Amino acid sequence: MADGAHSGSAMPDPIHQFEINRLWHIDLFGFDASFTNSALFMVVAVALIVGFLLYAISGRLLVPSRLQSLAETAYEFIANMVRESMGEQGMKFFPLVFTIFMFIFTVNMLGMVPGFFTVTSHVAVTAALALLVFTIVLLVGFAKNGLGFLRLFVPSGVPVLILPFVTMIEVISFISRPISHSIRLFANMLGGHITLKVFAGFIVMLLGSQSVAVNLLAPLPLAGAVALMALEFLVAFLQAYVFTMLTCMYLNDALHPGH
Amino acid sequence: MPDERKGEGPGSENLSSSDRSNFERRVTDLDKRLDNARAHHAAKDPDGSSAVRARGMAYGLRMASEFVGAVLVGGLIGFGLDRWLGTTPWLFLVFFFLGFAAGVVNVTRSFTRLQEEIKVATKGDIGRSLPNDDDD
Repeated sequence: MADGAHSGSAMPDPIHQFEINRLWHIDLFGFDASFTNSALFMVVAVALIVGFLLYAISGRLLVPSRLQSLAETAYEFIANMVRESMGEQGMKFFPLVFTIFMFIFTVNMLGMVPGFFTVTSHVAVTAALALLVFTIVLLVGFAKNGLGFLRLFVPSGVPVLILPFVTMIEVISFISRPISHSIRLFANMLGGHITLKVFAGFIVMLLGSQSVAVNLLAPLPLAGAVALMALEFLVAFLQAYVFTMLTCMYLNDALHPGH
Repeated sequence: MPDERKGEGPGSENLSSSDRSNFERRVTDLDKRLDNARAHHAAKDPDGSSAVRARGMAYGLRMASEFVGAVLVGGLIGFGLDRWLGTTPWLFLVFFFLGFAAGVVNVTRSFTRLQEEIKVATKGDIGRSLPNDDDD
């Protein structure tokens, strides 16, 4: 490291990939509603999902083609998840749950393509999704159970003396849901992508060095980056799965309050 | 389109006996190949360890975020009430600890749920029976 400033500039900025750029300026009544690269990738994801599903089921074969069986697998995967967590009446929410899963999964996978933008690495997006679920839980909960939904905050069999405390704890626990729901997805994607970029940056730094001995170390972070890439693919799927499963669990609380 | 294919089925009446034996041979062959592939897969990854590990990590992060989220919400509620009522710092302290309790409740609750899931998945048989090394 003879030239510290030079090797510093060789390290790519790991945060740069999360920058939001306005592609198309839109001003809605003084509110900045520009079409950004984030919005672009959301549109691409939605187009991919719709295109894939429509194309896959266009044949409507009794013995499914490969693509059709892929679409059917996705359907059954989510349908089973919904049935297991909410029972048959939960299938009313299937369209919502399926949409959430396909959107997050596709967006996560798009983010794995080098150079692409990862929509879910921004807390604004994941918080919007989590708040959507939270709002629906509240609306459905009160619409279906009326004030009985508040039973969720009053566990049965608790002595009257500590009931206020327990109720407060339950309320805090309920309010914390959208926060943990959104932070988990966003933090996983953000952390994973930064780690990948840092490892990739090490390769560049080592190769940029003057000494051959240091150059020869470059395969080490490359191996690390390859291993991380595999892990990141798993995380991309798992986080979509976890987000969807928690959505089902929260919706189940709206249908059947009281533990 | 789907209606045209519906009645077709495998068309078993039209098959000659050699066709049928041929078909059965292919089915048993496929069975064998599937079994081989499964055994190979199981040998490479005895208890699906990489998937299990990733799932375990997901559960761990889930519990961590549930705990932190509750503490954050409790603290924020207390902070907001304090600013509103001018009782700094007492309500903050109370709600901070309530948030802490809520975090613990969150974690224990998702842990119980996790245990139930495992129980269902393993049919109540938690833990693997390990081969006994002493005898052989």
